[in-house]
Amino acid sequence: MSDLAPPSPSAPSRLPFAASLRFRSGEGVAIRIAVAAILSLLCAAVLVALSGHSPLAAFAAMALGAVGSPHQFGVALNRATPYLLAGGGVAMCFRAGVINMGAEGQIALGGVGAAAVALVWPSAASALTVFASLFGAAAFGALWAALAAAIHLGRRVHEVLATLLLNFVALLLVQQTLAGPLGQSGAGFLQSPETPPASWLWKAPEFGAHIGFLIAVAAAAALSFVLWRTPFGFALRVAGSSRRAAAYAGFSIPLVTWGVMLLAGALAGLAGGVEVLGVHHRLIEGFSAGFGFKAVTVALLGALEPLAVVPAALFIGLLEAGAQSMQRQIGIPSALVVVIEGLTMLFVLAATVRRA
Amino acid sequence: MSKLLEMRGIVRRFGAVRANDGVDLDVRRGEIVGLLGENGSGKSTLMKVLFGMVEPDEGTIIFRDRELSGHRPGEAMSAGIAMIHQHFMLIEAMTVVENVMLGWSEAGRILKRAETAARVREASRRFGLDLDPDAVVANLPLGRRQRVEILKAALRQAELLILDEPTSNLAPTEVADLLSILRRLRSEGKGIVFITHKLPEALEVCDRVVVLRSGRVTGQAAIRDVTKTQLAQMMVGREVAPPRLRGAQAAGQERLAVARLQGPGLGPLSFEVRGGEILGVAGVDGNGQIELAETLAGLRRPDAGSIALDGRDATKASVAARVAAGLAYMPADRSLTALVRSLSIGENLMLRDSGRPPYARGPFLSPGGLARKARELMREYDIRAPGPQTAAARLSGGNQQKIVIARELDRNPAVLIAHQAAWGLDPGATRFVLERVLALRDAGAAVVYFSSELDEVLDISDRIAVMANGGFAGVTARAEADLNQIGVWMAGRAA
Repeated sequence: MSDLAPPSPSAPSRLPFAASLRFRSGEGVAIRIAVAAILSLLCAAVLVALSGHSPLAAFAAMALGAVGSPHQFGVALNRATPYLLAGGGVAMCFRAGVINMGAEGQIALGGVGAAAVALVWPSAASALTVFASLFGAAAFGALWAALAAAIHLGRRVHEVLATLLLNFVALLLVQQTLAGPLGQSGAGFLQSPETPPASWLWKAPEFGAHIGFLIAVAAAAALSFVLWRTPFGFALRVAGSSRRAAAYAGFSIPLVTWGVMLLAGALAGLAGGVEVLGVHHRLIEGFSAGFGFKAVTVALLGALEPLAVVPAALFIGLLEAGAQSMQRQIGIPSALVVVIEGLTMLFVLAATVRRA
Repeated sequence: MSKLLEMRGIVRRFGAVRANDGVDLDVRRGEIVGLLGENGSGKSTLMKVLFGMVEPDEGTIIFRDRELSGHRPGEAMSAGIAMIHQHFMLIEAMTVVENVMLGWSEAGRILKRAETAARVREASRRFGLDLDPDAVVANLPLGRRQRVEILKAALRQAELLILDEPTSNLAPTEVADLLSILRRLRSEGKGIVFITHKLPEALEVCDRVVVLRSGRVTGQAAIRDVTKTQLAQMMVGREVAPPRLRGAQAAGQERLAVARLQGPGLGPLSFEVRGGEILGVAGVDGNGQIELAETLAGLRRPDAGSIALDGRDATKASVAARVAAGLAYMPADRSLTALVRSLSIGENLMLRDSGRPPYARGPFLSPGGLARKARELMREYDIRAPGPQTAAARLSGGNQQKIVIARELDRNPAVLIAHQAAWGLDPGATRFVLERVLALRDAGAAVVYFSSELDEVLDISDRIAVMANGGFAGVTARAEADLNQIGVWMAGRAA
């Protein structure tokens, strides 16, 4: 009878939508995800073959493009960095049963925060400038997430709607700031002036990889610690499994939601910040297009385990860096990578989401 | 009487465990077979095999002279087997007739609502179900909902009905009605498998009983040849001692005081419980028990009134503050509230204490402290599992409830709110729960013990309150309890 353990009498059977999305965890998930990734590459191979090219040559070009030289590898690391930062935050939200789809907007606003602070910061001391700019990025991202949390908790708007719709507002806000206070007049393109070199992230010579990747890995490790080794992490794991159990355990659902939303917002903001300070050295319209959704991809690819998001983000980063060289060398459109990412996402979801 | 069902040598393994280990089961037309056994004895597995929900590793099933193998529930249904689950598979927002039409080919491609309603009315009369086709299921008491399931089975011409613990949610009068409905079905030649661990009901309605223990048939007998004691012994393989008698104890000082408590579906209600006293709350489910229990536990806000713990007002205290003030709560809903099934035993043990030693050291969780404490509690409360890492979902109902008991009692609470604490448990586990609650009471705690099992309340309480319509219809000392009076109080509910 154990496995048929029935719901007890008078138990309300309604679950919030968020809690109805359940993921597998525990042993076997790593294998499932690896198989999913391999299957998606196989599908991609078929697509390449259909377009009349050799899949082997394409993948070889892609591999060379990703890890063929220190510089290529550095590009891949830089690609992976924002996905990893934002993806870790998204993973924490999903763990808590808060479906945060707002990383896209939070990243964009993080870029605004970083650029704004970097442009007005008077100090010439590099470390302090960088620190202040990254702090500005995190603060802006957290603020944007806080808005979504306030709408969700205060007005009971579903969090998917609140976070998703604010993305559009955030993108318009970036345009507005670039057309106004932060814009570079006469650039012919919506972008800010270049930020002072003091605010640039330190880069490894030869590689061209900026220090953001290390920051992101440290953040992932910290998230994993919070998730598994603190009462707050426990509270969010319980909240993600059963809202009723969380209330019974004495955890406040609003507090947990606030906590993970602010955390995820700050990390997404940081992702935007490192992109601006590490790669472009200025705020450019559309600099982060699609990053927020890739963050969701890597969070799921990493089975919502912050440390596992590191290889997941690397996978996508390498894929994208490799794709560009594949396009250059063989003429297969790099859009194929978007297809592979989509396929990976589908396979991973099929492998990890439990039937209700 | 002709053979309806013949199951032979059914074996079903789950890993190393043989949930069914060579089980035979026969059901004839016009016969009610009681399938008895403790939790985890393999009753459900056997029925899932029959219904095609799990495939047997060995064995054959002959139903109406045809072999059933590799079948799915849909095929089992069309062959004439109906399963009535413990929790009903009904859409609450729909009416009786709509639920009957759901997934039924004879309802027509364009629904024949009026015609189906007439058939519902006719069948309802024939079997004494007393169902209004246009009633919305959400408004029906649990007993009626079960009859909707029976009606569905009857209309679909099911020849064999499987009822899984059908009486666990019913009031005594509803149980009597159900049993007479079953007798009518029997007289129409249906075969019935009645899964239960309530011996009196089995003795009352069954023609024959089959007893399972650890996946094997440990006894079967025609009902006229056995006594309750023999059946109980077959089930557990040992004597079940009745719960300890209540030793008289001078009640201590007031530990829980409730005054004019009021909320949706609740009150106004005033009572107090003293240290060393168990207030048993009887009554038919759905009369405000969940509202009262959750309001006391802090999961619902009352509209008015007050709750005091040990003389201190706790009306507005958070759940965590109440736990800290010594309030323990065992919710009725084990699967979604009292436990997180996906978490480990250890994590479930620290569910409400994760911020305190030994589970936490400073601001961080202490995996070592958790493992030590979990092993200690598993030993002390006899939680049978490979280790603290095992997921709670893998345990039987009895072991799951032991986790809740261990967690709530280990805090050495001043007040315990226990809601259906022994619900769905087998006699051995029930006794364990009752003994622990009695020990807590002897240690000086105040206990409010909600149960819809009147026998349980009578066994354990110092005082008995009966809930009806959100309030106490009456309160009596156990020593002066009069069953007729309690019955009248319980019937205070409009059914």
